[in-house]
Amino acid sequence: MSETIVLEPVAEDRAASLLSVRIGWRNLWRNRRRTWLTTGGIAFSVLLVMFFMSMQFGQYAIMIDSATSLMAGQVQVQSSRYLQDSRFEDTIVEATPLIRLLQENRHIVSVAPRVEAFALVSADERSFGAQILGIDQAAELETVRYVKMLKTGSNLAGPDDAVLGSVLARNLGVAPGDEVVVLGSGKEGGIAALVLTVVGLLETGMADLDRSLLLAPLSTVQAGFGLGDEVHTLVVRMDDLSSSDRVVTQLTEQLPDALTVRAWQEILPELKQAIAVDKIGGQIMYWIIMVLVMFSVVNSFIMTVFERTREFGMMLAIGMRPRAIVAMLQWEALFLWVIGTAIGAGLASLLIIWLHDVGIYMGEQMEDYAKQFYMPARLYPGFSREVLTVAPLAMLVGTQVAALIPSLRIRRLRPIVALRTT
Amino acid sequence: MSDVVVRCSGISRTYQEESVPVQALQDVDFEVCKGEFISLAGPSGSGKSTLLNIIGGLDRPDKGDVEVAGVKLNDLNESELSDLRLQKMGFVFQAYNLIPVLSARENVEFIMQLQGVSPAERASRATAVLEQLGVEGMADRRPGELSGGQQQRVAVARAIVTRPVLLLADEPSANLDSATTRELLEMLRTLNETHGVTIVAATHDPIVMSYARRQVNLRDGRIVEDKQNEAA
Ligand SMILES: Nc1ncnc2c1ncn2[C@@H]1O[C@H](COP(=O)(O)OP(=O)(O)OP(=O)(O)O)[C@@H](O)[C@H]1O
Ligand SMILES: [Mg+2]
Repeated sequence: MSETIVLEPVAEDRAASLLSVRIGWRNLWRNRRRTWLTTGGIAFSVLLVMFFMSMQFGQYAIMIDSATSLMAGQVQVQSSRYLQDSRFEDTIVEATPLIRLLQENRHIVSVAPRVEAFALVSADERSFGAQILGIDQAAELETVRYVKMLKTGSNLAGPDDAVLGSVLARNLGVAPGDEVVVLGSGKEGGIAALVLTVVGLLETGMADLDRSLLLAPLSTVQAGFGLGDEVHTLVVRMDDLSSSDRVVTQLTEQLPDALTVRAWQEILPELKQAIAVDKIGGQIMYWIIMVLVMFSVVNSFIMTVFERTREFGMMLAIGMRPRAIVAMLQWEALFLWVIGTAIGAGLASLLIIWLHDVGIYMGEQMEDYAKQFYMPARLYPGFSREVLTVAPLAMLVGTQVAALIPSLRIRRLRPIVALRTT
Repeated sequence: MSDVVVRCSGISRTYQEESVPVQALQDVDFEVCKGEFISLAGPSGSGKSTLLNIIGGLDRPDKGDVEVAGVKLNDLNESELSDLRLQKMGFVFQAYNLIPVLSARENVEFIMQLQGVSPAERASRATAVLEQLGVEGMADRRPGELSGGQQQRVAVARAIVTRPVLLLADEPSANLDSATTRELLEMLRTLNETHGVTIVAATHDPIVMSYARRQVNLRDGRIVEDKQNEAA
């Protein structure tokens, strides 16, 4: 009788052995043209997606920068209660030490304190409701742009100066040199009355502001409305938009609970939404590009598997497991991805870095427009983690899936049938 | 010579794939003992490859039992059959035996890696077996850079390096000229006689039959003759 031989289990080494990896790599170079076409497709789509994404992000950076630097700032600090009810008496008390504290943060470029009040502004017989902003002229200039948008006259200098929105001034029939009277209610319920001299008119292009804004020196407004070292809002300019989230978290921890710190996404939710909508549009285009490339990868793997059926039959016959062959093809897909993505991401990075220096000229019209609003006239690409990772990772998943689809056939392949194919 | 390595009893195999079912094997009884060198002869379509594939665990009979090295193949699932082929069988086919992107040495090492043999042992066994088959000088060449005869030798090296209980060859000489065939058969005879490798080869080739010590003739899926070859 024959000796009985027990089949010992085979080491796990089988699934991902070194030689399988080597086979996968060398197989790429069996059909160089196909490999270069496939990797070229991957490279091209990675390049395209990374480039467009970075331009898109660059555009968002400009949008955010121009929107926040107009008036709102990138970060604001307010009393939590003021934020809820907008009541005049819910101020930030002891504003000066708080400002100093904020200025110590290395990501914060400048802090502009504001007192915000509603009052009746009169000149001769005419009266209009106005938004009174008590500002620190120098800090405001460092922080935002709207104060520079003078139509005529000059910025605040003396304690009784006022700068009016151009439409408000027209409605009141005043020009620089004329006097206006501000009447409102102060903190303790007393009457706030100021007599100011118009020194300049503001034209921001924003109807709301031009119709209702009256700027006066911070200390004048504080005194007139019965406030001490108190303000309603601290408007913060950041060194870099990307640090605003981190600084908000940091300040929220650092400051008392009575204060709320908000970043631009909360201050200008409509801007955040506009960007989100635009991103979806971009994503649709990116997915179309990537799906098209995936089809070509799937196609190339279908051909590979088809051509190598007899070879796979032999491998199965000598005792290689189907899943080890599938794993080998996954390695091939991984190598295709590495090559394609390295080329695509490399070229995209070079392009982005170059454009980061020179920018893209947006045309004369844009240049005029940009100058008018103190915006950059050129579009610069933006770099972000998303730009760097989305396309490569999508391609990684895509190539692995693309290789898996045709190689599932291998699981049903019977070695003798495969060996008979010609 | 009484150790039975293969025992087939009453095996039949019918292919249903075509419109007319083909009876490739009909009620075949067949035994292989340890140390034998058998040729399976017969005209084309007589069932040689079918029998070889069933013995090798590549195909299953519709009827009958197959036992190889004490293991009943009928009871094994596909994965177990795969492991059996890896550990107990050596295969040499007519062509496309080798992985084209691996060198001769790597082809021989590959199967040992599938078995989980350690790298050091793989290297020394590969060197030894390539030497044994006279292809040590070709170790770093890929199959495409080898002649047909050299490729078949590497295939034999790959088949025996795992020390299988059975070496199965299907038309191993089909693509070789007669001189090369004789060289290959001398090798196989040496392996059989001095190393005790049990060999079953399906063939039309009279040269192969002349080297085998036992010849089994098939016709229409039945064994019609089973004789010892005194001249071999
Ligand atoms: N997968 C298959 N599907 C259908 N019929 C098959 C299949 N494999 C073999 N046959 C048929 O079974 C019979 C026996 O085939 P087999 O390959 O065993 O013969 P053989 O003796 O090896 O022939 P050859 O000398 O041509 O290799 C033949 O009639 C063949 O056509
Ligand atoms: Mg045959």
